[in-house]
Amino acid sequence: MSVPLDETAQLVVNGLVAGTILAVPAIGFTAIYAVLRFPNFSLASHITIGAFAGYAANTLGGWPASAAVVAAFVVAGAAGVVNDHVVLRPLRPAGALTTAIGAVALTIVLENVVRFAFGNDLRGYALPIRRDWQLGPIRIGPQQVENLVIAVLAMAAVFAFLTFTRTGKAMRAVADDPVLAGLKGIDAERVARLTNFGAMGLAGVGGVLLGLDTTIDPLTGFRVILSVFAAAVVGGLGSIPGAVVGALTIGVAEELSLLSLAPAYRTAVGFVAILLVLTLRPRGLLGERAY
Amino acid sequence: MRNERARLSRRALLAGGAAAAAVASFPRVVHAQPATIRLGTLNPLTGSGGSYGPSMRKAMEWVAQEVNAAGGVLGRQVQLVSEDDQTNPEAAVRAARKLIDVDKVVAIMGTWASAVTTAVAPLCWESKTFLTTVSGSDTITQLPHQGYLIRTQPNTHLQIGKLGQFMLSLKVKRVFVLAAQTPFAAPSYLRLGEILPKGATELVGQVIYDKDKTTFRSEVDQAVRAKPDLVYLNGYQPDCTVLMKELFKAGYTGAKVAQGYAVNAKLLGSLPNEVTDGTYTATPSPSVESAGYKRLAKALGTDDLDPYSCQCHDHISLVLLAIAHAKGEATGTAIKDHVRNISQGNGVKVDNAVEGLKLLGQGKAINYEGASGPCDFTDTGDILDCKIRFEQAQGGKFKFVTLI
Repeated sequence: MSVPLDETAQLVVNGLVAGTILAVPAIGFTAIYAVLRFPNFSLASHITIGAFAGYAANTLGGWPASAAVVAAFVVAGAAGVVNDHVVLRPLRPAGALTTAIGAVALTIVLENVVRFAFGNDLRGYALPIRRDWQLGPIRIGPQQVENLVIAVLAMAAVFAFLTFTRTGKAMRAVADDPVLAGLKGIDAERVARLTNFGAMGLAGVGGVLLGLDTTIDPLTGFRVILSVFAAAVVGGLGSIPGAVVGALTIGVAEELSLLSLAPAYRTAVGFVAILLVLTLRPRGLLGERAY
Repeated sequence: MRNERARLSRRALLAGGAAAAAVASFPRVVHAQPATIRLGTLNPLTGSGGSYGPSMRKAMEWVAQEVNAAGGVLGRQVQLVSEDDQTNPEAAVRAARKLIDVDKVVAIMGTWASAVTTAVAPLCWESKTFLTTVSGSDTITQLPHQGYLIRTQPNTHLQIGKLGQFMLSLKVKRVFVLAAQTPFAAPSYLRLGEILPKGATELVGQVIYDKDKTTFRSEVDQAVRAKPDLVYLNGYQPDCTVLMKELFKAGYTGAKVAQGYAVNAKLLGSLPNEVTDGTYTATPSPSVESAGYKRLAKALGTDDLDPYSCQCHDHISLVLLAIAHAKGEATGTAIKDHVRNISQGNGVKVDNAVEGLKLLGQGKAINYEGASGPCDFTDTGDILDCKIRFEQAQGGKFKFVTLI
């Protein structure tokens, strides 16, 4: 079977765009894992909370997409800190598995809180829908480009924060060796709170980016959390560049699978990737060093 | 201590015996307070059917209230136990198990998604619980349900047959189908393949997608590449919202047709008019001119009732009338054996349960025709006929096109 080049190129572009958006919450997921050492599945509901915060800012407040992203970051981040403090922190001494199960329970509770507040209906952002640009054989949408820019800016901000600021360095220190970091006088609790704020904030930004291109409902986060998890595992749980590489890999692999698979089976690709990586390279593509 | 216990136990025995004698001597008192009739509702209160479930449940609660206010079924009050199927087969099975095993309902009413109905049906026929559904997939009535299932929704064969006729009337040349992965995706495509070649229309392809994905760009690319002049969106509301956006962005300008439950007023409200304008929808039409429809619309406080609420209104009415026809025997088997005696035939036409119960009480035969339509069933539980209403979105509103 010959594969048309145009079609492949289009699929790669679609995959890169999808992967970039997936990378934003995946960074959050892996950052929490790096610092707190448990998979925080309540990221799903924080994606939803961010999506709805952005929606409220956009439709009720009349804010443009870029400002809605900031609102989503702050609201989801704050929710993340509160939820972690009240629900997950008391569970942490019982071990990573207990905390992860608590996080799954928390996410379902929060999802229903969103449902109670906003109802079950689908909602769309109040943005004009524009026709796509046709660049030679490749089709790409203005909204996608905008999402891409927002996602890349968010990632750049994360890397700059971790590289150049004192707090960012403290975070990396805790992720690398919490005991040694403690000896150096780094307050682990404060780092945990900051990590939660930043990571859940990124989840919220991811929620808005997903919603801008599609629609949002209380299940928005739940639908993507497994792909986010897959991206983090493939890249190496705990590695922030790994989350980006993992998300792009999953995004492109899912799209390219369409060349030989029916779309209905596309979701399986991410999980085949998890199995392959865990079997052949258990620490993920980039290992588990945080940065 | 031993003596004390023995004495107490003798005393208890005496008391128990006296109580038993008292009960035995007042049999009429016991019979004058019969148990309630327990029915289960299983609707999609959340998930992709979440915009219909609450209203479906309300319709059934309203009928139960009306019947109870008029004295119940042969003096017995009706009690509804409501569960949410989450538009998810796994959650639906758990809810159905609870309704059957814990609440001991005699009928489960109002399952919506075909996948949910397919999952719940075996529990029902195994436990001899009657199941009424609004699901359309052909495969549902082909299950070995032994009569414990009826549906008020036209099946895929009937619905898609009429949809095919409508497409032919539009004189389009090339039809492409974008279908969510559901039990009715494959039969729908086969049925269109039977109908369209009768005219000058070609069925050029189908993509079946996973409806939980957040983006369908590549699926839409595949559709557009086939150069269709009509795309049939055979999915649910969340995925169709995304697909309509994507088709617009991809520069597709041909015709679009979707099921009315997917492209509905809520979807039009959530998308700009330029994206939705011109889209046709197909909806099994409730009996909008009937008194039953108007009464229900008033009770639910809307002038635009969805077909599922109408059908659920008829589900509970049929079940209660069947129980009354069976002289008050409230079991799934009695409902199964008696439902066709009150839903079809030469009896007096009635459009609501209260009036039907009154006529049955007078010993008259009845033929129930409800808010959703005639409610006449084949031996396998399908409805015999149903009109399909075609509408077109214009400026964010639906305009009537034709009734087939």
